[in-house]
Amino acid sequence: MNIFKKLLQSVLIRCGNLYNFQNDEKLINLYIQEKDECAFDELVNRYIDRIYSLCFRITKNKEITEDVVQEIFITLSQKLHTFRAESTFSTWLYRISTNAALMKLRKEKRHNNEVISDDVNYSENNNNNFTYIAKDSSKRPDVFLLRKESENEFNNALNKLPETYRLVIHLKDIDGFSYSQIANILEITTQAVKSRIHRARLELRNELSDYFHEWSEN
Amino acid sequence: MSELKCTDVVENIMNYIDQELDQTTLFTLEKHLEMCPECKSFVDTYKRMLSLSGNLKNQIFVTTDIRKRLKNLLKTKIKPH
Repeated sequence: MNIFKKLLQSVLIRCGNLYNFQNDEKLINLYIQEKDECAFDELVNRYIDRIYSLCFRITKNKEITEDVVQEIFITLSQKLHTFRAESTFSTWLYRISTNAALMKLRKEKRHNNEVISDDVNYSENNNNNFTYIAKDSSKRPDVFLLRKESENEFNNALNKLPETYRLVIHLKDIDGFSYSQIANILEITTQAVKSRIHRARLELRNELSDYFHEWSEN
Repeated sequence: MSELKCTDVVENIMNYIDQELDQTTLFTLEKHLEMCPECKSFVDTYKRMLSLSGNLKNQIFVTTDIRKRLKNLLKTKIKPH
């Protein structure tokens, strides 16, 4: 009976989009034990946007980001069997990704004498630069534009900060990780995480001072 | 904490936002905010900044083209071990 149930489950998983309903650990097991490529595809689908955003936040360059994201998922396919579930899969993947992006950035900076072109000008007037896509449910154009403007202001201010500060703001305030999860990702103490976030936020607020001045006047 | 200085507001801002201040400090801090417009403005803009970052939760940098290109590349390079 158990064998029949297992077989049926396995057939069901292989039909259609049933991978969507599996948790990360189940997908990892399917990939490692049964060499199921669809399970790995689902992990890629699940994380590629978030990992791309994280790496782009660190490198600020889309070419470097594409390279590093590719390397991360190739490494992941090779090292997935070393995942020990001591932390959640997402924390583990973020740790690998953060290290890979920081290493790549340092390497590129060395190679290009510290000069890396930024692809992060969010101004609407510059069509040559990289723009991001925001999922916005608002149908009202005025609301959409106001929101877009404040998001642009925020992104431009954030991108003026050093990468270590951009990174902790991204992890805490955008991706919503807890202090202890960030400590796990960055392999530093929770107290060090808090202290870094504190300094990063103060600097970010400082960068946003003109925007806040206008905001308080309206 | 009997009397609170403006620098204490800055020092305690994260614990205040995370609601981790003890009752006495919270009371002293809020009392200070009522009397100090600069600190009130600091806290308001700090909260506004966090609300802006929260709005970016659903922001995606990757375009459909990039996602497709990356996934196609990965398909050619990844084989189960």
